[in-house]
Amino acid sequence: MSLENNATESLPGKPELTVDGDWNRVHPASPFVRGWVALAAVGFFFGRDAFERMLQGRDFVDPNLSGRAPWLLAGGAVVLLLTVGGFILSWYFTRYQVAEGYVRVNTGFLFKQQRQARLDRVQAIDIVQPLLARIFGLAELKFEVADAGESAVRLAYLPLDQAKQLRATILARAAGVVSGPETAAEVPEAPEHVVLSVPPSRLIGSLLLSEQTVGIFLGAAVVVTTSVLFDNNAIFLALIPGILGIAASYWSSFNKGYNFTAAISPDGIRLRYGLLDTQAQTLPPGRIQALMVAQPPLWRIFGWYRIHVNVAGYGLAASTDGARTMLLPVGLKPEVFRMMSLVLPDPGVEDPERVFTAGLDGLGPVQPNTATSDGFTTTPRRARLLAPLGWRRNGFLATKTALLIRSGRWWHTLVMVPHQRTQSMALHQGPWARRFRVADLVLHTTAGPVSPRVFQADVEQAVELFDQQAARAREARKRQTSEQWLAQVAPQAPELAATLTEQPAQPAPPQTSPQQEDRHDG
Amino acid sequence: MHTEAIDPPGVQWLRVSPKYVTVRLVEWAIGNVVMLVILSLPLVFVLLGWWRWPPLWLAITVPAVVLVLALWRLVLIPRQVRAIGYAERDDDLLIRRGIFFQRTMVVPYGRMQYVDVAVGPVERSLGLCTLKLHTASAGTNAQLPGLPAVEGARLREQLSARGEARLAGL
Repeated sequence: MSLENNATESLPGKPELTVDGDWNRVHPASPFVRGWVALAAVGFFFGRDAFERMLQGRDFVDPNLSGRAPWLLAGGAVVLLLTVGGFILSWYFTRYQVAEGYVRVNTGFLFKQQRQARLDRVQAIDIVQPLLARIFGLAELKFEVADAGESAVRLAYLPLDQAKQLRATILARAAGVVSGPETAAEVPEAPEHVVLSVPPSRLIGSLLLSEQTVGIFLGAAVVVTTSVLFDNNAIFLALIPGILGIAASYWSSFNKGYNFTAAISPDGIRLRYGLLDTQAQTLPPGRIQALMVAQPPLWRIFGWYRIHVNVAGYGLAASTDGARTMLLPVGLKPEVFRMMSLVLPDPGVEDPERVFTAGLDGLGPVQPNTATSDGFTTTPRRARLLAPLGWRRNGFLATKTALLIRSGRWWHTLVMVPHQRTQSMALHQGPWARRFRVADLVLHTTAGPVSPRVFQADVEQAVELFDQQAARAREARKRQTSEQWLAQVAPQAPELAATLTEQPAQPAPPQTSPQQEDRHDG
Repeated sequence: MHTEAIDPPGVQWLRVSPKYVTVRLVEWAIGNVVMLVILSLPLVFVLLGWWRWPPLWLAITVPAVVLVLALWRLVLIPRQVRAIGYAERDDDLLIRRGIFFQRTMVVPYGRMQYVDVAVGPVERSLGLCTLKLHTASAGTNAQLPGLPAVEGARLREQLSARGEARLAGL
């Protein structure tokens, strides 16, 4: 039985059930932009021969082919017509509508699909522009709800302005600012305030100092040694595909991370990045389920960090290419703090900077009796055999609003889970851990690159945390709403605060009924 | 029921039906007997003189080790079943399991997306069922096997009623 699983529904049959908004079509060129590969293949297949002949200064049509040429040409024309006809049909039968708190998309002409998603369940909205679409000024809009699968709604392609307009409309309606069946044109795009951008030089540096590079150097050392030992140069030839692959992976990281800009707007956090394919993500307030700051060993030279997040709609498939779940590809400590404060405006401690610094780089005391200066509760000294390197690093700290978990002596990581985003929790204890009286606490969040786990905490402290955390999560869920998020972010972007208060019908007081809370948090 | 160190203090665990041991035994038999038969084939062939390889000692050792491990797991089954426990608290459900690798899990009622009740053929003949809780996190994986069917139905209704009362979004 479903408690609240109605975020997306595929309705069978019955097309026009409650239609009041206009049904719109995507841009007519979109099937061609999407299917250009198919067209190019057809063109290549039938055009290559003629083209080559022209280059060689012969007739456009091979004279020897006179018997077969009409058939070939006719075949090519039929294939082309079928493809183009299919494109036109698929365009004609794809329609969308934003009305009554839903976005609806109808697709398909033989197998019809009708899909609707509730606007207030939006987890993230992305505007993606692949290179070809960018040349034509088109963009794809992706609408994510929390089911961790594919995007709930994808509209490809719209003119860029229209896509932005639609995003503004959806977000405004999701926030309850605008209601009723007005057309999209009336909602202005929310103003934004750029928080940080990553210079290309730092991006290149971060790629060169990444774990990947270390691996490559180790691999290269092995290859050189073996080739010297066996006096055999053929091994280098075998490496060429590998080198190409590595170059491609560097290129894709660079392509995705290029020109990374983070901005804050009343709609949420805006991320924009990409060299050839550009992407603009909008994460509405409070949609980030967990956050991880990580620092590979070599990045410590320059004090760089990166941030990954779990967002319900992005799911696991997105974490494989890594770009969508990246909140910051590379940044200095102040920038990390700024992003963390956007995600969690109220850190719930007196001195957030000191606490976060301790979480990023801190080490617990060697002797158990010395007072822990940085506030983190670390692995007890008796369990140092279980974690000979990390026992002073592994630690947790519960603030009023979030649980901070740090780990890793060489790979520094700091995980932050807001209390109201904790789904469920589990204590794990294996035989060795029991022998040393420690236990692991695992927090379950939505699918994504961050998996929060407190390593080897003292068993009594772990049980206490387990109990308290359940209570804290319960309290936080009752208290926290997205409005508070906006109010707390406002001081950082004063001009936004002004626009916010001017907007009519701002959803009401922080203490909402369960239903309303559900609407904002769902 | 005995309380372990990682269990929250003052929790009264409810145990699953002892009949669940039978279900586990059937699962054990299906898994291990088939495997043992396959692994013993080389031994038979070697003894019959059809095969020259592997050597006799190897043909004996491999199934013997597997047999010992399987018997070890067999001996553990009743204790493992006894180690499964659950407790309904005001705002969340606690589930524990495991002897060597223990796990205690808390699932807040407001976080449950849906509740499954599954019944397999062996479970059905014994009047048991398995309750699964799903939250927005794939990691939750909260299962309560071996509940009597009546208790499973009661828990399902109870959990969904409580879930609706404390409904929270993500």
